[in-house]
Formats: sequence, C-alpha cells, structure tokens
Amino acid sequence: MKIEQEKNISFDALVVGGGIAGGEAALNLANTGFKVLLIEKDLSLGGKMIMLSKVFPTLDCAACITTPKVSEIARHSNITIYTSSEVSSISKIAKDNFEAIVIKKPRYVVIEDCTACQLCEEACPISVSDQYQYNMVGRKAAFIPFSIANPKAAAIDIDNCILCGACEKVCPTNCIDFTQETEEYRVSIKTVILATGFKLFDPVLIPRYGYGVYKNVITSMQMERELAPTRPFNTVLRPGDGKVPDKIAYVLCTGSRDATIGNPICSQICCMYSIKQSQLLMGALPMADVTIYYINIRSFGKGFEEFYQQAKGMGVNFVKGKIGKITETEKGNLILRYEDINEGIVKEEEHDMVILSVGALPNQDASKLFKGEELQLDQHKFIYQSDLLGSPSKTSIEGVFVAGTASGPMDIPDSILSAGSASSEAISYLIQNK
Amino acid sequence: MANIDPKFGKALKEYGAIDFNACYNCGTCTAVCSLSTPEDSFPREMVRLSVLGLESDLTSSLKPWMCYYCGECTTHCPQTANPGELMMSLRRWLTSKYDWTGFSGLLYKSLPLSIIVFIVTAIGVILFAAEESFNLETIIHFGHYFEMIAIGAVFSFILLPNLIRMWYFVILKPKIKVSFSTYLKSFKELIIHMFTQKRSLGCDDNEVRWIEHLILVIGYLSLLFTTVFLDWFSSQNLFIILLGYVESAIIFVITVIFVQSRMNKSKEVSKFSQPSDWFFIIWLLLMGLSAFMVRAFIDLDILESNIWMYLVHLIVLVQWALIIVPFGKWTHFLYRSFAMYFDSLKRNQG
Repeated sequence: MKIEQEKNISFDALVVGGGIAGGEAALNLANTGFKVLLIEKDLSLGGKMIMLSKVFPTLDCAACITTPKVSEIARHSNITIYTSSEVSSISKIAKDNFEAIVIKKPRYVVIEDCTACQLCEEACPISVSDQYQYNMVGRKAAFIPFSIANPKAAAIDIDNCILCGACEKVCPTNCIDFTQETEEYRVSIKTVILATGFKLFDPVLIPRYGYGVYKNVITSMQMERELAPTRPFNTVLRPGDGKVPDKIAYVLCTGSRDATIGNPICSQICCMYSIKQSQLLMGALPMADVTIYYINIRSFGKGFEEFYQQAKGMGVNFVKGKIGKITETEKGNLILRYEDINEGIVKEEEHDMVILSVGALPNQDASKLFKGEELQLDQHKFIYQSDLLGSPSKTSIEGVFVAGTASGPMDIPDSILSAGSASSEAISYLIQNK
Repeated sequence: MANIDPKFGKALKEYGAIDFNACYNCGTCTAVCSLSTPEDSFPREMVRLSVLGLESDLTSSLKPWMCYYCGECTTHCPQTANPGELMMSLRRWLTSKYDWTGFSGLLYKSLPLSIIVFIVTAIGVILFAAEESFNLETIIHFGHYFEMIAIGAVFSFILLPNLIRMWYFVILKPKIKVSFSTYLKSFKELIIHMFTQKRSLGCDDNEVRWIEHLILVIGYLSLLFTTVFLDWFSSQNLFIILLGYVESAIIFVITVIFVQSRMNKSKEVSKFSQPSDWFFIIWLLLMGLSAFMVRAFIDLDILESNIWMYLVHLIVLVQWALIIVPFGKWTHFLYRSFAMYFDSLKRNQG
C-alpha cells in the first residue's frame, strides 16, 4: 500500500456512509454548492434501504424511492463517490480543518468501462452465496452486486476468485483489471457527517430460536428480499424445501428489548416492518395465515396505528406473547412455544415458516475513526448527540455531525429528516467558518 | 374484587426476591420453563401477582411449589427480572404464611435473630449437660429420647397444623370441593413425590442434581431411622453400625457438593443464597459429619474422654430439630410433596 502525493485531495465535507441518510446529506450539501466526498464501504450505494421491498406505512416501493435518489447523488457534479472504501482515520488538524485517511479497496473492474453486460458472471466458474440476497441464493465470484446497484458495474470477489481469467477473456470492454491495488488517500476536509447506519442483530446468538439450524427460520431481512421486486425466487417460499408457506409466524423483539443479548432498547422499526411484511404476504399469498407474536405493538408514528389496524382488518393474527423456544418437526415445520399473555396460558403452535424480526444494533465502527479527539457514544453505543434537543445532529466533536441510524434506531422518514438536519448544521458550520 | 398492594413487593424482597418489578410481561419465562403446562403456566403469573401484591391469590397457589428451579427463566429473562429467584422467595414466603407460629417469617427475615436463636439453643444444651455433670451415658440417653420426642412434638404441634393451614389456603378457602375418595385415590401421589421428587426430572439437564438430591433424601431419612429406631450409637450389631457409617458419609459427601456449588455459583439455582439456604445445607453437613465422628469415637473407645464430640453433635441435632426442621428450609420436603398431592386433588375434583 502506498500513499501517493497526488492523492492529496480536498473537499468541503466528508460523508461517511452511502445509505439513505448519508446520500441525502451529501445531496443537500452538494445542492448548496459544497464539494462532498461520499465514502461507501460496500460495492453499491443505497445502504439497507435499497434492499427493502416496500416502506411503511405508505407501502411505496423502496427501490423506486432509493434508485432515483442514488442516481441523482451519483451524477451530481459536486459529489465524489468512493465505493468499496473505508475511512481509516480522521484527525482534527486545525479549528475548522480535518484530515482523513481513506482506503479504497480494489474492485478489479474499471467502473467507467464496465457495461454490466454480465458476460463475466456467465463465464465465472465459482459460485458462492449471495450476500445481497442474504445468502438465500448463489452468485458468481465475478458478479454485478444486484440489479439496481449503483454503480452498476461488475466486481471481482477476490477472496473466492481462483484467478482463472475466464472473466477477462469474455469481457468485451477489457474492463477487468487484476493489477488494481489498494489505494490510500489523504483528504483535507472542513466538516464530517457520520452516516454509518446500524447493524442487524444476528439471531444465531439466540440458540433457542434455531436460526441457522432450522432452515425454515429466516430473518426479516431475508423475507424483505423475498418480497422485493428484485427478489431471489419468483415467489415467496420457504428455503428448506421450496414449499410455498401456508402458516407464517413473526417473532418480534428478536434481539431488541432483551438485556440478555446486550440490547435492552426498542429498535423502533420491527413492529412496523413486520406489519408491512404481513400485509404484503396477505397480498402475495392470499390463502396464507400470518401470525405476529409480540410483546407490545409500538405503532407510534404518523399513520402507524392506522397501518396496524389495517393489517388486523386484512386478517393478520396478532398474539401477545414472546416466543420462548422453537423446535422443528420432521416435515421442517416449526413449533413455537409461548405464553398467551391475554390468557396466561403456555401454548404451542405449529407454523411452516418463521420470520425473526431482528432488531437494530449500533455500528460502532465510527467511534474508532477519530485520532486526538473522542467521539462519544451513548450508553447503547450509538453516536452520542451532544445537544439532543437544541441541535440534534451535533456530536461530541465540533464540526462532526451525525445523520440517520448512526445516532439510534429510526425509520426511513426519520433518517431522511435526520440527514436534513445534519446537512443544514454542516452547511451552517461551513458558512460560519468561511 | 382484589385490592392491589404495592407494599407487598417490598415485603417479598426480605425473602430474597430481586428486581421482579422489571417484568414487562413478555412471557419468555413461562415459555422456556419445561415444567410449565397449559394447566399450570408459570412463573409469569406469579411475577404478576407479586407485583400487584395479590396475597390471597398467592397463598392459594401451588405454582411456587411446582417449580424446581432449573433457572432457565432467569437465564433468558430479557428484563433480568430474575423470575427463578422470585419463585424461590415465594416458597420462603409461603412457608412463613403456612406457619401458624409466625416464627418462620421472623427467621427468614432476620439473620441476627436466627443467629441468636442458634446460640441460645447451643447454650441450653451445654447448660443441660452441665446440670447432668457431663455424664456421657445420661446425655447420650437423653439425646436418643430427645430425637424421638422432638420428632413427635414438632410434627404434632408445628408441621401438622401448618400442613392443615396449607390445605385450608389451597383447598378450603378457594371453596374447592374434593370428595373423600379423591383424597384416598390421590394419596399415592403424595408418597411418590415425597420419596422420589420425580417432578424435578422434568427440568432440562437435571438428572445429576436429581440423583444427588435423591441420594441425600434417602441417606437422611435412613440415618434418621438408624439413629432413632435402630439406636445406632448404642447398637452392637455390625450391620447397623456399618449402615450408619455409610449413611452419614453419604450425607456429608452430597452436602459438600451442594455447598461447593453454592460457593461457585456456577448454576442459576446456586447463584443466590439466603441465610436460610446456608443454614439448611451446612447443618445437614454437620449432622452427617458429627454423627459419623461420634460413632467413630465410640468404636475407637475415646468418646468417654472426648465428651465434647457428643456435645457438638447434640447441639447440631437440637438446632436442627428445633429450628431448621419446624421453621426453616426443611419444611420444603413436606410442602413440595403435599403441593403435588393438593394439585392432584384440584385436578380430580368433582
């Protein structure tokens, strides 16, 4: 790895994270004339939102909102985007000046030359599980991340690549370049917006739910993929045997409001996304029964309660009681044991597919970025908002702002609002320090 | 109409309950409990009743006795409300409720009082021995009769009335009609549960603990029989002598294991120990140990010159028989098996 002098570049703002919050913040800054560097660790912009089926409570198509926004960001003359890149450190070198070290990992494809023709995908002999479909189907080692990815260009998964050169041979534009190396950039910036998002809870940590052991227990994100327009199968089915499920269960608060796994707080989104999915399932599989097992339904936002009542009206079954354990039958069905809180009786119910509504956990990566200054985290390890009521985007470091779920669990409208707030704070900060 | 009593929770905390107010009623505890059934679902109901302080619902409930404390509920409780220890505290509280003398409750709640009572009993024994001019023969003779009289008296005046009170709280007061033939038919349940504690096998991975407990119960009961009815200390019969040695050694070994697990706190069940738990297990250990030593001293013919050994044994015995058996944790032996009996009555009523 080398630091090249010509790679010293300067921008007004650095936005860490290219999800919906980071993208929105970058766009606001760029539209007001500031130069923005947007760093995304993944191969595509769009974060988690671009993976979703629809959004609550309006049932708008998530991709139809995200993709135009993402392409606006990508085409904007004031925004420079580095995908498959990470910020390794940020130091405050003057009162209104930061220096960031950005590491750009090789994609082994020249993005500008790639036409996304997919010939390399066909030629590649290596199949691995597709992380963008949450491991429900396979992909090649030379692959386009997903159909609505941006940049829509191939990438080589070098960890699984056997360097056979098959992709290189078929590539019509010769855009595959195995000589690419990791590059390091020294970037001078005036302000930073952290939009590092959240992590989904890994239900393997609750062995009594059998995730990873019972094939027909999936996460809500996997169901999100099954329901999305760019879904892996052409219908909703259970992964164990491909059967179309008739009796589906949702296990709310998997990894939220649970001190035993270290996340005692509510993730704020699971009730509503589960209700949304249940409505979509009612549409996709009209004959299926859908049951949502809950502790409390928290439908606190605008239009949420109506959305919840709508699901009830559509016939979604709501049962008060948290699932204690899940066992598998020979047929691959699942028996859920719970206490029916309204009756005070322990019950068992058989379902043929179980969706674990996994919670949102903090992404603690951002806390390690800063050298010389301490980026404080709150008690739950989300980024601490130093003036929550007066100036909610401010962090413990002056000139560093937080947008979206990096500061705590929130839904998409709130993330976009938060990004708006962070970008206006950043703009105001930039103008004052001119 | 039941009145809620917010102060009840505070009272229950004196019996060892912790944090149960944190419960948000998700039912995870009940759902992970392998002894919980649709007919008898617990422990959440007990947590709820405790939070609300519905005393009469608690005194009429057998559910605290149906829990054998595997600790799964506490391990998985998302609010760390510790339902397992709440159930344990409810058992202590119920024991004091059943006790007509009210002495149980005082001992559970006050460690200083417990210590005073133990010291007073010890002094009493020493004073008695002094009165008898430390004559070994008279004291051993007394010790033997003391055991018989204590068993009879404690059972007739304390344990039996307390069992009747339990029956009153559980069956009579809630107006459960049970025919006489049901009382007879269910009687075998009482015997089975009293001598096997088989219900605790329903707890996950509990086989080892069950076997240890079973051996301890059998060892204890047979040592009692050997000393009281076979007069172990005076017996010349080799078989009886050896039997007594084996039984007291068994009690010692198993209680050492239990004490160790309470000290290591490795299992959920042994993480929280109240003074009453320590008294019970340590006195049982001392019983086994001192009985073994006394008989060994007799066989080595050195008891005459070491009368203190018998006095130690007698003090432990008197404290056991007058404090721990009637008012302490020993009573769970009766209440647990009678709870299974009463539950069978409730199930088969009408």
